[in-house]
Amino acid sequence: MTTTTALSTVAVKRSGPRHWLETYRAMLRWEVTGMRLLLPLTIVAQMFIGVGMILGMAIFFDEIPPRSALYLSTGAAVVTLVIVGIAVGPQLVAQQKQMGTYDFMWSFPVPRSSSAAAWVTLNVFIALPGMVAALLAALLRFDLDFDVTLAVVPGVALTVVCGTLIGYAFSHAVPRPEVTQGIAQVMIFGVLGFSPINFPPENLPGWLASVHRYLPFESMANVVRAGLTNGIVEDLARSYWVLGIWSLVSAALSAWALGRR
Amino acid sequence: MPDRSWVFHIDEVTKTYDEGKSFANDGITFQIRPGEVYGLLGPNGAGKSTLVKQVIGLLKPTSGAITLGLHDLVADPDLARQLCSYLPQAQVPIDSFKLHEALTISGQIRGGGKVAVRQRAEELIATLEIEEWRNTLGARLSGGVKRLVGFAMATVWPGLLVILDEPTNDVDPLRRRRLWQQIRRLGAEGTAVLLVTHNVLEAEKSVDRLALIDEGRLVAEGTPSSLKAADRGRLRLQLMLAPGAETPELPALVQDDSRVGNNLVTVIDEAQASDGIAWAQQVMASGVAEEYALGATTLEDAYVRLTGHGSEDLQ
Repeated sequence: MTTTTALSTVAVKRSGPRHWLETYRAMLRWEVTGMRLLLPLTIVAQMFIGVGMILGMAIFFDEIPPRSALYLSTGAAVVTLVIVGIAVGPQLVAQQKQMGTYDFMWSFPVPRSSSAAAWVTLNVFIALPGMVAALLAALLRFDLDFDVTLAVVPGVALTVVCGTLIGYAFSHAVPRPEVTQGIAQVMIFGVLGFSPINFPPENLPGWLASVHRYLPFESMANVVRAGLTNGIVEDLARSYWVLGIWSLVSAALSAWALGRR
Repeated sequence: MPDRSWVFHIDEVTKTYDEGKSFANDGITFQIRPGEVYGLLGPNGAGKSTLVKQVIGLLKPTSGAITLGLHDLVADPDLARQLCSYLPQAQVPIDSFKLHEALTISGQIRGGGKVAVRQRAEELIATLEIEEWRNTLGARLSGGVKRLVGFAMATVWPGLLVILDEPTNDVDPLRRRRLWQQIRRLGAEGTAVLLVTHNVLEAEKSVDRLALIDEGRLVAEGTPSSLKAADRGRLRLQLMLAPGAETPELPALVQDDSRVGNNLVTVIDEAQASDGIAWAQQVMASGVAEEYALGATTLEDAYVRLTGHGSEDLQ
């Protein structure tokens, strides 16, 4: 219920779970409507990235061993889940700062958490079509046996939430929009080229593989892959822990960045 | 009847940066009563935006208090945002919103119920005469119409204090009048309006009281008439100089002067009007000026006197 605390005769403060839910719904409507022009393009771009990674690799190599094909296919799906949160979102925030509308957005009388939750929700819906397209392309192109279980639901959810919160945190914590854009680009480069998402960590130099044990990308690939395949993901619990910690730290950093004055 | 028992107070608000070395706001104090339209005037960089950001809880004062009634807005920025609605100087980000959606969603974000917000939105659309764009996307609206939509978004479900930063920018004269009527209506309904503007002439006509801010300090405060009181008995003698002409030598009768581009504005004593005209005609005869005009002093003259800034700084 919405709690209204009477502070004087002139005003009451709105708060409580119902107020949170109402502002979440209003902010979700704001975000969805605000992305209306960009949304179809973003979703199609996501689908192209997913499908393109699979078809591109298939053109590049004559023969891809089944295990590698399975890694590549599930990895492409993970990339589409992550990229909206760590790249598209921060670019939009940077744009708001450059156009002078950032302060207006944060003058809305809504809890920061309901605003963030609305953005995360939208990200899930933007990311899913790309993932499905990548997996369908993989099924058609490679002779694969996915073993889809319900574990894919928390895996996908946590991956999108974690990726979105990381993007949310650095885009709001870094004051200069051009630095935010730079970080987003480095992230894309790092995710696409140097993260054990499309390939096993053993393929990386030892030191980089060790670093990735603590970064979120390998864990994102693990939790999604665990819901789509059988027998290639080890130590799943650790991956959930890593993502849980990254999500919490990012949420805390976002709360600090949005609460500082 | 709207509750008019509260007052919005800015009390000795100071905001410093660089560990106290630079002052964005320096001991600013004023108050606004319900129903009042209060102007905040000053050149770029005077500290107006910094002050507004502290009111809506985006910045925290280094010292001083901001209160509305019994509520401490510095201690509770969430409440500050519920009590104050804000129209920024930049255009509102509504490119992919249909005009009526921008209003209804904003109203719901501000805590209004669906039906009441829709009703109020339709009223605003009709009063501001923007019906023909009701279903048009923001990206296709002109700057002036977008500005009106921004105003409607801030006031469709207004807080007790509405902060409007340059609301009339790009708005055509006819709709500008409608806009002022709406601002007045907000006042009649018991809302306090803080109007941030560069436009001295518009402020002179539209605000009940105003504060002049310069280099972070409040240099004068009062009604437009009271600020002009010191200029009583003085006249504004304005010369349009020939392009590229040097400022002519000013006679002793000129009490104040400022030049913006080719426009030289001087202030003279009423009793010396004929001497002033004679001097202006002499300057024209020498080819330095192309025309002149003599008239009553305006708030702009008071502004120049109080801050030392010419009107170009205000634009």
